[in-house]
Amino acid sequence: MNGAIVRLTLRQVRRSAIVVVVVTGGMTALVAGTYRSVVTGPPERAQLAAIAGNRAIRTLFGTPSGLGDPGGFTVWRTGTVLALILGGWGVLVMTRISRGEEQSGRWDLLLSGRTTVSGVLGRQVAVLLTVMAAVWVVVAAGLLTAGVRGAALHATGLALVGAAGVATAAGTAQLFASRAAATGVAAGLLGVGLLLRMVADGFAGLAWLRWLTPLGLVELSEPFGPGRWLPLLTLAVADATLIVLAGRAARGRDVRGARLGGPGRRRPSYALLGSPAAFALRRARLPIVAWSLGMGAFYLLIGLVAGSVTDLLRDNPRLAELAEQGGATGLGTPAGYAATLFVLLTMPAGGFVASRLAAFIGDEVAGRHALACAGPVPRWRWLGAEMLAAGTGALVLALVAAVALWAGGSRLGPAAALAGAANVLPVVALSLGAAVLAVGVAPRAVALLGAIPTIGGFLLVTLGEAVRMPGRLLTLSPYTHLAPVPARSPDLPAAAVMIAFAVLACTAGTVAYRRRDLGG
Amino acid sequence: MTSTAIRTEHLTKHYGSLVALDDLDLEVRPGEVFGFLGPNGAGKSTTIRLLLGQARPTAGRATIFGAEASDVARAHQFLAYVPADVSLWPFLTGAETLELLANLGPGVDPAYRAELIDRFALDLDRPARTYSTGNRQKVALVAAFATRAPLLILDEPASGLDPLMEREFRRAVTEARDRGQAVFLSSHQLDEVEAVCDRVAILRAGRLLEVATVAELRHLHRTAGTGPAGRELSLEEIFLGYYGKPAR
Ligand SMILES: Nc1ncnc2c1ncn2[C@@H]1O[C@H](COP(=O)(O)OP(=O)(O)O)[C@@H](O)[C@H]1O
Ligand SMILES: [Mg+2]
Repeated sequence: MNGAIVRLTLRQVRRSAIVVVVVTGGMTALVAGTYRSVVTGPPERAQLAAIAGNRAIRTLFGTPSGLGDPGGFTVWRTGTVLALILGGWGVLVMTRISRGEEQSGRWDLLLSGRTTVSGVLGRQVAVLLTVMAAVWVVVAAGLLTAGVRGAALHATGLALVGAAGVATAAGTAQLFASRAAATGVAAGLLGVGLLLRMVADGFAGLAWLRWLTPLGLVELSEPFGPGRWLPLLTLAVADATLIVLAGRAARGRDVRGARLGGPGRRRPSYALLGSPAAFALRRARLPIVAWSLGMGAFYLLIGLVAGSVTDLLRDNPRLAELAEQGGATGLGTPAGYAATLFVLLTMPAGGFVASRLAAFIGDEVAGRHALACAGPVPRWRWLGAEMLAAGTGALVLALVAAVALWAGGSRLGPAAALAGAANVLPVVALSLGAAVLAVGVAPRAVALLGAIPTIGGFLLVTLGEAVRMPGRLLTLSPYTHLAPVPARSPDLPAAAVMIAFAVLACTAGTVAYRRRDLGG
Repeated sequence: MTSTAIRTEHLTKHYGSLVALDDLDLEVRPGEVFGFLGPNGAGKSTTIRLLLGQARPTAGRATIFGAEASDVARAHQFLAYVPADVSLWPFLTGAETLELLANLGPGVDPAYRAELIDRFALDLDRPARTYSTGNRQKVALVAAFATRAPLLILDEPASGLDPLMEREFRRAVTEARDRGQAVFLSSHQLDEVEAVCDRVAILRAGRLLEVATVAELRHLHRTAGTGPAGRELSLEEIFLGYYGKPAR
């Protein structure tokens, strides 16, 4: 039985686990391996140090350490992104295989024998930690030539952030009866961890906050600087404590029960039940509010520290010159900085859109559409309603980001901020298109396909810039075609092409969805 | 609207090499309770999914009061449906679920719905995730019976109900027929079918074996010599006869 649970878990996670291991290992090795061809001499090194040391950039990417060698550069360039990917994957997968399976009733049978909730949880956590061990191996291998000690430290840090995601989600899966709540709260905690790290890097007096967040502890380890194990030990102890607590919470609770059951009875609320569109909005409103809070906090913080970019240029005319030569796409001006930050907006917004369509398929697989589609509302209208709600959510997120960045005092007018946020929406539309297409032709891969234009495209350009990839490959990424608005005027033809692709994909997906059998 | 509630012509569904439904010709009249019998895997749910336009036929067609089954906007004006495995939105209370289904369905009779809620002893103020299988089924049954749709399609609707609720269910079916609604009742509970159905169809491995009234079925089997002489055959004995197993 125990072996069976481990095998089942492996089967449930292997596909995405392979992607995560390959991406983390691959990005680390590529960036480290091509460092010498990118940072060729002392001038580049000085420029890099000036940019990376700037307060606004520091807030975003963390305080660099040992930037002068391949290891330190790789840690600075890829560390935050990979840590977030690992932590996010840990959260999503952990709640999917635990609370998600339990909520769907598939654990009723599994747990009718002598197997207990905590027994299953323990094995699932063990499998996910094994994946983190694999991450450790590939990251360490990718950095080996840069220094054994640094490689070990960085790999340990990344694996521990991934484990923190797993541990947090293992806990929230015991607290909440719904997978959405368990995922949302765990992801929210991860987001708070990121914000704390950003505050710690942006405000000198608050540097101690790093001790309170996984990303901060990893930064404190400075793998290719002095190299400290104590912060990582702290993180390891915190991870272990969370896992033990999750196990405690799992012990003795009912299958499908939760520590925070929520209200047993409540008065009905009949708002937003009148049409498929209204109902889609009703289901999306809580996620929209939660994502908006996170985005608002992120962009407010970014806005607060953005002013230092201009100061940097004033104090460093040579850098301003370089920024001009570089085509102003760099981070050198408030507008350029804002443009770069709005590009980041595509990932949460694209992730949000993909997650809404994934929830739509989740409802179908759970059999809820059998009842919904028995009424005289055609199926394409249900899908259309979901697209509408997802698109509305993406617009709200963009609006929140623009207002927060402006309100944070980024020395950017409100119109410029809005233009910058609106400029990246075609990329989000591509994610929506990919997700809708998947609804029609590959319903089990909605989240994955929906993430390809935004998260996949972003990884491609990040990697491309870091390793000087051939241009033809880079044109595949939508980010290559984004003008840095508000620093420059928008590339309208490119936006039109992206929108056209998105509309095409949405149409094809809807047609395929109408034709295929309803699952569940 | 034509005078036929359900009509299928050569309706066929393949899943890969598996023939789930093979060349089904069927006619259900308005106002009749039509039992759709068959063992697990016979193709009952598949047939219903085809009738609802939720699956596309490999061959053949189905119409609901003359409307193509795939033309959901039209065909579903005439029907209400209870799935075999009712799955509700976990965060909606029973009351909210009924409101949603009423808003998106072919229209309801609120007074009759209130009466049904009472008769089925539904606790509507709890979120659906706290409902048992039987309670979820009751919500779907109340929603369906409360519509005045001329056709009710019920897929093994009483499988999760206790005897008291089963009795209420049979009463509701009879009331529906008395109002002139047709009921398409997929089931393998033979006493239920015997109690409420006017005609029954028997399906095995995707093939239609027989369509007849219960009385006709009895007659058929007595003359065929399968039953012991001088005693009324139960539907169970007839049913098992079709599947080649001796009656107990
Ligand atoms: N989506 C599907 N994919 C593949 N096979 C299916 C699918 N749905 C049903 N089947 C198969 O079709 C046959 C008929 O199933 P079903 O109509 O559910 O039977 P019943 O409702 O009479 O128990 C079964 O063998 C079942 O395994
Ligand atoms: Mg069935």
